[in-house]
Amino acid sequence: MRELPWRRLARWLPADVREEVFEPALSDLRIAWLSEAEPGSGLRRLVRDARYALRVLHLFADCWRVRLLRRPARPDAATSHSRNRSERVLMFLYYLHHAIRRLLREPAFTVAATLTLALGVGANVAVFAVVEAVLLRPLPYDEADGLVILHHRDLRTGITKEFIAIGDYVDLAERQSAVEQLVSYGSGRTTMYDEAEPFAVASLGVSEGFFDALRVRPAAGRGFTAEDHRPDARVMMLGYDLWQNRFAGDPGIVGRSIRIGQQTRTVTGIAPRGFRFPPNSATEVILPISVPASAPAARKSDWTFALARLAPGQTVERATADMASISRQLEREYPESNQASTYYFLPLRDALVGSTGSALVLMLAAVAVVLLIACANVANLQLARSLARRREMAVRMALGAGRGRLATLLLAESLVLAGFASGLGILFAQWGVRALVALVPASVDVPGLADVRINVPVLAFALAIAVATALAFGLVASMTMRLEQAADVLVTAGRASMGRLARRATSGLVIVEVALAVVLLMGAGLILRSFAGLLAVDPGFRIERVMTMGIQLPADRYADANARSAFYTRAFDALRAVPGVEEAGAGVVIPLTGNNWTVPFERPEQPVPAGERPPDVGWQAASGGFFRTLEIPLIDGRFFGEQDRPGGNPVVIISEAIQQRFFPNESAVGRRVKLGQNTAEIVGVVGSIRRAGLNDQPRADMYFPFEMNPGGQIVLFVRTAGEPVPMVNSLRAPLRGIEPNTLFQETSSLSDIASESIRVTELLLWLLGVFSVTALLLAAVGIYGVMACAVRQRTREIGTRMAVGATRNDILLLVMRQGSRVAALGLAAGLALGLLAARSLRSVLYGVSATDPTTLTVAAAVLGAATLLACYLPARRASATDPARTLSQP
Amino acid sequence: MGRKLPDVSNLQFLALGILMAGERPGREIREAVRRFGVRRSAAAFYQFMARLERDGLVEGWYEQIVVGDQRVTERRYRVTGAGRRSWAETRAFYEAVQQMAQAPRSSNA
Repeated sequence: MRELPWRRLARWLPADVREEVFEPALSDLRIAWLSEAEPGSGLRRLVRDARYALRVLHLFADCWRVRLLRRPARPDAATSHSRNRSERVLMFLYYLHHAIRRLLREPAFTVAATLTLALGVGANVAVFAVVEAVLLRPLPYDEADGLVILHHRDLRTGITKEFIAIGDYVDLAERQSAVEQLVSYGSGRTTMYDEAEPFAVASLGVSEGFFDALRVRPAAGRGFTAEDHRPDARVMMLGYDLWQNRFAGDPGIVGRSIRIGQQTRTVTGIAPRGFRFPPNSATEVILPISVPASAPAARKSDWTFALARLAPGQTVERATADMASISRQLEREYPESNQASTYYFLPLRDALVGSTGSALVLMLAAVAVVLLIACANVANLQLARSLARRREMAVRMALGAGRGRLATLLLAESLVLAGFASGLGILFAQWGVRALVALVPASVDVPGLADVRINVPVLAFALAIAVATALAFGLVASMTMRLEQAADVLVTAGRASMGRLARRATSGLVIVEVALAVVLLMGAGLILRSFAGLLAVDPGFRIERVMTMGIQLPADRYADANARSAFYTRAFDALRAVPGVEEAGAGVVIPLTGNNWTVPFERPEQPVPAGERPPDVGWQAASGGFFRTLEIPLIDGRFFGEQDRPGGNPVVIISEAIQQRFFPNESAVGRRVKLGQNTAEIVGVVGSIRRAGLNDQPRADMYFPFEMNPGGQIVLFVRTAGEPVPMVNSLRAPLRGIEPNTLFQETSSLSDIASESIRVTELLLWLLGVFSVTALLLAAVGIYGVMACAVRQRTREIGTRMAVGATRNDILLLVMRQGSRVAALGLAAGLALGLLAARSLRSVLYGVSATDPTTLTVAAAVLGAATLLACYLPARRASATDPARTLSQP
Repeated sequence: MGRKLPDVSNLQFLALGILMAGERPGREIREAVRRFGVRRSAAAFYQFMARLERDGLVEGWYEQIVVGDQRVTERRYRVTGAGRRSWAETRAFYEAVQQMAQAPRSSNA
């Protein structure tokens, strides 16, 4: 054990006490500790170290005690006020000191109670540390509370999106009055060409006023001026990290020209250190984007993201009301594009955190329940212990100690216990935080998660929990004692039976424990069923043995669609020739990643009435090989093929859901759909897939031929005969053979993506599972303790009953009945509470109702069985009572 | 010759007496005092020793010792000249009291 931390304790002592008292006494403790026999096992060493730590803490407290007890040099120097205050402090320290000594004298109780509480406190502190980092810590922008992100909601489907049609953006920015300025941004990846080989960079495009909205000033050079946002301006800013890592922090970089994408741009400035937008993703290059001065006729010709800072005195609600009002205007003015669509603001943090916030709050509630159960258990232990101390308390009362003073004494013990538990709990939390963060799926990309730590706010929370915990279980013990009469206690203490009030208190605590454990079990059961449901879902396409690889072609050499088409034709052939590859194709949207891109669907022969917006269907650009790779079944017509080249006839493939909805009694193949002013022929119908996620419904999707207008940045889908991940390099090699400058982006197997998409549910399942099993065990231990105590007290009664003819079974039933009554009340209360609490789980449930009767029954049955077992053990002991021996005892 | 009451308390007399045989570490003095039925917490004991030091009756210093394979410092004490005098005076006082108690009593009868 290192000595240094204990020496640091000395700082909190007056200098004279530190030098004259603490230092020599600490030396003695250390010598004694070192002189003890060398411990063999780790556990013995731990116990020895813990004992040393407790002794040092005790010494520290004792130093304060002797300091305060020391007679003042001149008694008249102290005013009566300060004397009163110091007396109160002294009394408090005396109580604490007494409590520490008392607890050290009862190591079994102290260790059991400390460990129980420490687990509860540790779990709470660990989850709170994550909550603090994600939900409470300020975002890395000045006055970040005023920042809001604009969202769109389709009122027909309820689907919400962050990307805004450019026409709507221009009108909203011009007409709004609730925010300082609505600014546009978009992030992506591009290629930078330095003297060395080209490399991919994360880019952020920003419209005029973006940096003002974020209150960001460049670290070097300048930001963007209005001129820089003209379409022909060729400037950019560099991110701080890129400047440091790629350009060695060279200040001369400002003013230099660097080729990025297809253009050469001049660096105007460097973003400040740590600047990222969004805060959880890298920002390496910042490019100015221009926004049209007036809304284009094709309102949905382009898309953007929009950010704003609330005007002084404005709230998110008022700004949203302003947006809703403008949305209604736009709906009236442009019904064919804006019908049933509205815009609203979300605070930046809410937009970044999304549903993770509610999952975290759910976890915090679950661990709070575990702590409550732990408190109830410790309160029960305290009550059982107070039974043995009733005589001591009665004597104290008889000698004139007020009840308030005795209650304070018990409360001081609770405080000390809670202090021990918090210390240990914080240690547990250190490990817990690491485990928790490691369990969070990579797809949960929220700010702060990378920097979860036990900091001052978390320690303050731990302190608050310690005090609340002490009050929670300390008050129960002290309240039951308050109502007892000293004389009664002195008369009856010899029989050491629990008062009626204390008995009720213990039963009440067990009811609370059982009820809370039912709630957690129900939650875990519901999540388990959801998870099982998600695992059993058929997504409508093959997940196993499919690799996805994002690639980007050098923009300068593949500006022409024919050049890109030629590349992909060769690439597909090369990939199919790799041993072990069964099929290859290309698409833009990776299924199961939550993508909601849509496109309006309209049949030319059945136009939507004038002034109405056509319904939206999902959008995907895919090659023929995409369907074959993912084994999406062809129901009618054909896949995209050779004939669908650039310049060919416009064609689309629709999913079965579109066929059923828009062509209920006819074949859709050969029919046409409207695409803006033109039409396209439907050449095939394929099976519907759950595109956004496994918890999505099979979608109405429209596929556009990738071959007709292949993009420079696409996703390759490759189906392999074996495990695809080890084949990544052999898949990349032929592509590099065709184009050495191909940039590879995210690469992962579809089964990993599928697992990732349900990892949040899996994580919730794990955590709720662990919490509920802990709760179940604690509740079972609680009920066992109470029943064992009850049986001990009723030994004479049981002996008498047996002496007058009761059989062992009668006694067994008698005790079981008592325990069952408590358990049944707990179960009933728990089920009622669980039904209320389950509502908060709705957003994370899939395929199971929050009031699912099977889950409720199983949760109740599991807990019922556990409590019955916990009752059975003391009951069996009671039934084995020997009446002759029991009754012969005094 | 009239005698004045001793300036040192019983406990101080005891501690000084323990040190009369030679210098000793604090923990040994505390242990020796304990054998006389006087139990003091470590903090109370060292505060008591600090008071003896302030009164000039003992002198304390730190010395490095090796326990196991580790060096630690311990507080050692020795009695000062003033301490010796004070202890001797107190001892003489108690001896005088003892002699008086043992002397044959004169009777008025």
